[in-house]
Amino acid sequence: MLVTVTLLLAPESAFAAIGCTLSNPAQDLKYLFPEMSSYREDLREFPKVKDGAALFKGMRARLGSDLDPIYEIYETPYTVYSVFKGKQKIGVVHGVNVPGKGGVIQVFLSTDPESAAIRGLFFQRLESPAARALRDKDFRAKFEGLTLADFYMHDYYAVVQSANENDKIARIEPPKLDADGRPDYAAALRGIRKNLILLDIFVYGRRFEPFFERARQAAAKGAAPKE
Amino acid sequence: MGRAYVMRTVAMIGFLTASAAAADPFADVSAPREPGPAVPAASWTFFSENFGFRKELMSQFSYSRDASRVGSRQSIGFEVLKKFSSETSTWASVDFQGRLVRRDHYVPALNDAEGMSRPGWFLEYHNAYADLYNVFDPLLDDEGRGAVLGHFNLRVGRFYVPFGLNLQTDTHGTVLQLSNERNVGFERDWYAGLWGTLSPDLDYGVYYLAGSGYDLKLRGQSGLAAVRVSLSGRYAADYGLEGGVSVLGGERLSPAALDRSPAVMANAAGSDRVRTLRVGADARWRLAAPTGTLTWTTELSGGYDAPDSVFTQLHQLEYLQASRRWGLAAQFHRFWQDPRRSRTIAPGAAPGPADSSISGEATWYFRNDVAGSNLQWIKLNVERQTERQQGTPDVIVTLQYYQYW
Repeated sequence: MLVTVTLLLAPESAFAAIGCTLSNPAQDLKYLFPEMSSYREDLREFPKVKDGAALFKGMRARLGSDLDPIYEIYETPYTVYSVFKGKQKIGVVHGVNVPGKGGVIQVFLSTDPESAAIRGLFFQRLESPAARALRDKDFRAKFEGLTLADFYMHDYYAVVQSANENDKIARIEPPKLDADGRPDYAAALRGIRKNLILLDIFVYGRRFEPFFERARQAAAKGAAPKE
Repeated sequence: MGRAYVMRTVAMIGFLTASAAAADPFADVSAPREPGPAVPAASWTFFSENFGFRKELMSQFSYSRDASRVGSRQSIGFEVLKKFSSETSTWASVDFQGRLVRRDHYVPALNDAEGMSRPGWFLEYHNAYADLYNVFDPLLDDEGRGAVLGHFNLRVGRFYVPFGLNLQTDTHGTVLQLSNERNVGFERDWYAGLWGTLSPDLDYGVYYLAGSGYDLKLRGQSGLAAVRVSLSGRYAADYGLEGGVSVLGGERLSPAALDRSPAVMANAAGSDRVRTLRVGADARWRLAAPTGTLTWTTELSGGYDAPDSVFTQLHQLEYLQASRRWGLAAQFHRFWQDPRRSRTIAPGAAPGPADSSISGEATWYFRNDVAGSNLQWIKLNVERQTERQQGTPDVIVTLQYYQYW
């Protein structure tokens, strides 16, 4: 249960330039990875990576929605935490901000360094009437093991094969929320997806691009879209 | 028959496989697992790897009702942040902020107390410090490093005074400030000390400060010892709550404190050293409102500028609309200093007992990144001074344009 609260971004931090970070990374990461011995922070910014402008431009298509002009600009810096036990890399942790109905939703993911699958999902600032439901441990556990490929495949299945058993995203049962809370559930899903896309770009060598391309091609030439 | 059976079986398998592939367009798609850098940096050097460079632009005009003048403060600045890492750990960082400022017709706006002595052009530095993380790592094995991870970090340089909420609040560009500038005479000082995790619930900081404020000066003062214990980040995450208790004691250099109190001046015996003690508690509570976020901040501290007792309080309420496009804020702050000894020493020239102000502020944000890494705003701030130790209460109106990117 403590896992839900041990991570924190530092939006008002005195370090104005480092962007999306944990307030006390040592403590927070140690909770997630008790066996760890060290961690490394890496600052990632689109303007500083090769073809950064094109990659940022491609975010919209991969995310499936417009980027927010306040929360999601080209210059936004991201901090990737690599967690080590001795020399062995045992985890990757990364956080993003997304706009919710009531304000900021901060979504952190810890992922497997080899498979890129989600190990854990954590909400930090969660200014939302849905905060309690979204922080629920059982709800968060439903995302464990998912990869960005599952989100890309869902795009296709949702339109063409709504009952496909491989559609893991569709099988996630949303928490019971009233009308005020539902937009923040959608925002949280968007934050998870955005986080995975950025990790795919900054850490995992864009290994899930084939799924994005196939989903797009298949949807384009596939069966007539269903509602 | 056997051959026919095998043929039919093979054909069936082929058909099913083809059908499955046709049904699921992802059946033959896989994610390559080769590790390695995802995106090669455009130029992977000292200045691009974990190197942050931000520019800053500020244009501020303040109107003083009593002086009937408009003061101008224009500046360009920058911030450099560099992190140093080995293959498996980030072990140090440095941060430096600089500003080239042009001031004309100085008006004492809330965020420019230091500006009084800097007419015309002035090259300022603000943050100038280094952090060394997990300083005992070279002495430990992997298990030991894991056991003390985050407990012992060293900070050396110039940064916010580790008293109250300022350590965890960026007031570099804002008009509204926290208590320290008025409480001890400077918001940043030169210091060294350890900080880190005390327990899952608490963080700590233990520091020795030069007590000289802007410039590092040693004029015989003993300096200041500071201890702060604060709630760990989990409270901010779970309850929107930050807070802590702080103690600051020793000697500092403060000509302003001498000017304000004949008793303090007498006690300093011809120097500008002020024997100082502050004990404080602070809290900040952020909660979701229907259309945005409300944040309440309080800082309280008591102690002395020997021989005068002092008490400082600051209360602030902020509202930030959910879109982060605009916000409102109101602040009350008051600094009280026991005037009795000064009245005995200098009956006709003793200062008043308190400085206090009520301020209101409206902000329109063009950029307002959650992490504070890209900011652009226009602020209108009105400060109504309600008590003055020296002079008469003024009204100061400040219009500020600020950009940080």
